[in-house]
Amino acid sequence: MRRVRGMKAATLLLAGSLALAACASDEPQAGGSGSGGGGSSSDELKIGLAFDTGGRGDKSFNDSAYAGVEAAVETLGGTMADNVQTLSPNDDASNRGELLTQLAEQGYDPIIAVGFNYDEIIADVAPDFPDTTFAQVDGSNADGAKGDNVTGLLFAEEQGSFLAGVAAASKTETDRIGFVGGVQSPLIEKFQAGYVAGAKAVKPGITVDVSYLSPAGDFSGFGAPDRGYSVAQGFYQNGADIVFHAAGGSGEGVFQAAVEAGKRAIGVDSDQYQTAPADQQAVIMTSMLKRVDNAVEEFITSFSEGSVEGGTDVTYDLESDGVGLSESGGYIADIKTTIDDYRQQIIDGKVTVPTTP
Amino acid sequence: MDGGGPERYTPPGPAVFRVYRLDVARSRRGTAPGPDDLRSGGPSDTVRHHRPGPRRETPLNEPAPLAVELRGITKRFPGVVANSGIELRVRRGEVHAIVGENGAGKSTLMKTLYGMHRPDEGEILLDGAPASFRSPADAIAAGIGMVHQHFMLADNFTVLENVVLGSEPTKGIRLDRATARTRIRDISDRYALGLDPDQLVEDLGVGDRQRVEIAKVLYRGATTLILDEPTAVLVPQEVDELFGNLAELKREGLTVIFISHKLDEVRKVADAITVIRRGTTVGTADPRTTTARQLAEMMVGAELPTPQTRASTVRDTPVLELQGVTVAAPDARTVVDDVSLTVREGEVVGIAGVEGNGQAELVDAVMGLRSLTAGTVRLGADDITAWSTRRRREGGLGFIPEDRHRQGMLLEAPLWENRILGHQTRPPAVKGSFIDRRGARADTQRIMREYDVRAPGPDTLAMALSGGNQQKLIVGREMTARPRLLIAAHPTRGVDVGAQSVIWELLKDARAEGMGIVLVSADLDELIGLSDTLHVMLRGRLVATLDPARLTPEELGGHMTGGNTVGAA
Amino acid sequence: MTLLRRTGLAVFAPLLAIVVALAISALVIAVIGENPLTAVRVMLDFGETPSQQTQAMVVVVNRAVPLFLAGLAVSVAFRMGLFNIGVEGQYRLATILAAAVGAAVALPGPLHVLLIIGVAMAVGALWAAVVAVLKVTRGVSEVISSIMLNFIALGTASFLLTGPLRGSPEGASVITTSDIPESGWFPGLNGVVTGLGLAEPRSDLHGFLLVAVVAGVVVAVLLTRTRFGFDLRATGLSPSAATASGVDARGMVIKTMLISGAIAGLIGLPDLLGTSHHYGTEFTAGLGFLGIAVALLGRNTPVGIALAALLFGFLDRAAIPLQFEGIPASVVTIIQGTIVLAVVVANQVARQITRRQAERGSARAGASPTTGDGGRTTDEREGARA
Repeated sequence: MRRVRGMKAATLLLAGSLALAACASDEPQAGGSGSGGGGSSSDELKIGLAFDTGGRGDKSFNDSAYAGVEAAVETLGGTMADNVQTLSPNDDASNRGELLTQLAEQGYDPIIAVGFNYDEIIADVAPDFPDTTFAQVDGSNADGAKGDNVTGLLFAEEQGSFLAGVAAASKTETDRIGFVGGVQSPLIEKFQAGYVAGAKAVKPGITVDVSYLSPAGDFSGFGAPDRGYSVAQGFYQNGADIVFHAAGGSGEGVFQAAVEAGKRAIGVDSDQYQTAPADQQAVIMTSMLKRVDNAVEEFITSFSEGSVEGGTDVTYDLESDGVGLSESGGYIADIKTTIDDYRQQIIDGKVTVPTTP
Repeated sequence: MDGGGPERYTPPGPAVFRVYRLDVARSRRGTAPGPDDLRSGGPSDTVRHHRPGPRRETPLNEPAPLAVELRGITKRFPGVVANSGIELRVRRGEVHAIVGENGAGKSTLMKTLYGMHRPDEGEILLDGAPASFRSPADAIAAGIGMVHQHFMLADNFTVLENVVLGSEPTKGIRLDRATARTRIRDISDRYALGLDPDQLVEDLGVGDRQRVEIAKVLYRGATTLILDEPTAVLVPQEVDELFGNLAELKREGLTVIFISHKLDEVRKVADAITVIRRGTTVGTADPRTTTARQLAEMMVGAELPTPQTRASTVRDTPVLELQGVTVAAPDARTVVDDVSLTVREGEVVGIAGVEGNGQAELVDAVMGLRSLTAGTVRLGADDITAWSTRRRREGGLGFIPEDRHRQGMLLEAPLWENRILGHQTRPPAVKGSFIDRRGARADTQRIMREYDVRAPGPDTLAMALSGGNQQKLIVGREMTARPRLLIAAHPTRGVDVGAQSVIWELLKDARAEGMGIVLVSADLDELIGLSDTLHVMLRGRLVATLDPARLTPEELGGHMTGGNTVGAA
Repeated sequence: MTLLRRTGLAVFAPLLAIVVALAISALVIAVIGENPLTAVRVMLDFGETPSQQTQAMVVVVNRAVPLFLAGLAVSVAFRMGLFNIGVEGQYRLATILAAAVGAAVALPGPLHVLLIIGVAMAVGALWAAVVAVLKVTRGVSEVISSIMLNFIALGTASFLLTGPLRGSPEGASVITTSDIPESGWFPGLNGVVTGLGLAEPRSDLHGFLLVAVVAGVVVAVLLTRTRFGFDLRATGLSPSAATASGVDARGMVIKTMLISGAIAGLIGLPDLLGTSHHYGTEFTAGLGFLGIAVALLGRNTPVGIALAALLFGFLDRAAIPLQFEGIPASVVTIIQGTIVLAVVVANQVARQITRRQAERGSARAGASPTTGDGGRTTDEREGARA
């Protein structure tokens, strides 16, 4: 028996060393593709991008921010590999502070933090690196409390959502529509407030079903397609025929429910029609665009021109095309005039959109 | 049997003395313990039973050829010689029993024969030709099949699926059920196994499951079957059925090797018997001419002890009084019904009964592990009915549980922690709220010494000990606390004969010193031999009180089955 | 089998598991086209300047402290055979209530901190007690009830945060409770760090480290040296044997869950008292579940859990430098996952080896002198037979 056990151990060791050997043989090939922002001359552009939970590939604001960096770098003649370092936080995002600190220590400038969760962190880190320029997507620095080297990149989500509400109310046949929020946070409540206001502006008697997938503090609602599916399914069964989601990755479930119910849905952040499979394209009526990519691109461009002000916010609204509605698929072409009419009224200040429900 | 009469041998003395004497006795016979003993080829001549001349089991006909022959098989494990110089000759077409105590080396031997490990010395001959097995697969290929004590069947598969599992007949990649079904029906009919190939195993009883295991082995073409303690899991009626099946196998010319330590069964079913003791074969016996007692003495290497008690030591003071104790099972069925009894100082009160008649529940009730629906329990002058188990233990209740693995030991804990178990609130194992590790270790060592617990040391895990040594540790631990009343439930169950007599002696000594003992047992000799008073329990009630001095096991058996409720003595 | 060999096995099994897990992870890294050796180098590289190096160490320890407490909470219950999955809910609820109480009162320094710690432990314990009471009185499996109570706890915490305990201004993106005044902060240990001749790190070393160490020592002593700990472990090893020995199983369930919950209540405090000073929507979640992994890895002993927590902290820290080398941070998660899996397997194997060795030991004890003998003289036997 002892011999058998010895052999087992030997086998394990062998397997282990084989694995190591296999790894070692990969060395030259892997070595090349490794480091991102290696050599640093001071005039070279070194952009640091710190994601929020979800990181790259969330098909939502993280990816959108990445796209913005990509566009800016391309315009400025750099490459992602040479000029950009992206960092994702760990699973519980407890190391956000370290992300910013390390980027700053490694000489990255500007540094863009994605998400309002960086609010306290950036206020803590930025003052330690006064020579570095920071920007925070979805985070306000209107009063300059986070330091005068921080720019807040904000969006008038309620304005875009208002138009989504207008579109939904114009298109509904049951006078009942739905809203699925990812996490019940002030940010997502802005979407809800605008959407409901827009719908009521068109049809004052309309019913809007509202549901959030997770309570404040629990971010699972942005990554739970199963919950998005069941909530949307419930809405459709109760008679709603259009559901707007502001639920990040959970929106996938909302679209699926729409496909199965033969009803329609409204996407969020990016033009989700473009990235959806064919069966879902048939139900994505429009998407409420939140152009994080534009904002990030613009910020980097102005940084390279040396025109970043700092200690203040830049707000992207309907007027600056920071938010809006997508028209892919042509499902809302027939109501374009209605939508444009409301857009103009908002831009002109004739309609004020609430930010809280 | 002379019950409680006077006897010639008296000295009670401390346990130390007795154990010391025990060693002397052993060395006097030239069988000092230790592996050397095994290497030197077994015990001395005084207990050797190999007989010269022709074998007696086939006196009339020409002896059948040998199906299996083992010559000088020795198997060593690090530091241990599990088998040494094993000689075994099994003739074709016979039921050959291998008997020996637990730990005598039967299982090691069978694993050798089944190819689960290879012997260090010696040879295996099958039908006269040398054979060498690297794995059970080789053994199966050579026609040897093993029916394990614990069945290896998948419950939610049918009989057919279980039988073919691992050697499925296939048509392409599909299981060829038709062929399999035909073959299983053939086997079942031929050996009268009575199996329905399409029944689910989970619907089968234990006996049927065993027949599935046998069919499985036969399906693979075995001509020699090894049955490892096949009756351990069977009720008497199933045992008879099994023996019928074995007769069928024999009639068809198959060879059966039957491992057991139940001597009566062996004598009933076997054509020849080989006895194993301490890793080696000590002789063969003819079941027709050998008594169970003779067999047992061959197994043990000495004449058997009996549990005779000494002169009555019963005093007047009651230590335990049960008044109308009634216990209900969770399903509200009354399992202990209005039981009243008294145990006095120095008295052993035996409780006899077929298992499952409420003895276990009664013991639990006295220990405070089950609540009463009616009645009172008094320990000495105290009414302890409402006391917790711990308080009862502190108040002087000792407990040797029926199932030591379930209630008596922490198998994965060292011996010294097991020493503490049940005595968490008393020195020397604890000081205040803290465990006294040193004290516990020292006291464990003392118990090991005084109660002859054979283990490397107090840090050994309890599971490393044989059943007998575990039980001796429990007895030692409980005795150390000097309880006023000891509840001994099946105190010698599953322990070897040596440990059995040590435990009996300890109980007798404790009784002599004034301890009251409640003895629950299924061993009628033990009950009759040790008890001063004997109650019979049937369906939760005490149906008879008997005087063990004037009682035979047969009479007691009659009472236990309710056929003979004569009552009071 | 000697004690030494047994401990050897106890240490060897997790070590082997870690090696196997690292080999698997190396394979994964190689498969995604990166160099495993780079990964190893990055993990071991704590930075260039002394300040960066101490900072890296502080990051590791700061991460390890809550993980250790979480593992400890899980392990106490586990030693008794209870699977407290509710640690997550226990600490979240405990932290928010402790934060609220801490913000609502003003007391002199040490008292203020003690009050917060006391509230957190009490809330954690009470929440865990619900599980215990359900188990003892209704026989509800603690696994089921603690999972369910997690949902309730998270929901309640959210409700409290967005409702009565909201301290952040209306409209702020991050919702938090009010800040605890400075008297309720736990001082950092950077003075000690610099006192040891190390460079001043950027972040404060959590002073709560001391509390964690004390908790670990108390639990270790409680489990291995006290009667209570003996009863607890005995119940874990064999509930039936423990009951027969006089242990009050129901009482033990309640007491154990109270202790487990009280420790769980501490998990959020290093962060609450050391850095954030309020509970909010961005407060670190999921530590309760990580604690299960840490406890498994640490084989449920305080020392093991401390090592496991440090290992997790170490791996966690590497996530950022790995990304600088172009290796995705999820590699760290993969490593942690494979380690835990490998350890579970290795523990099982070690158990079987121990068992087999023990059985061999019994074969030895059985093979030589099992038979013993009656210990009776010939006279006696004849007397008995007569």
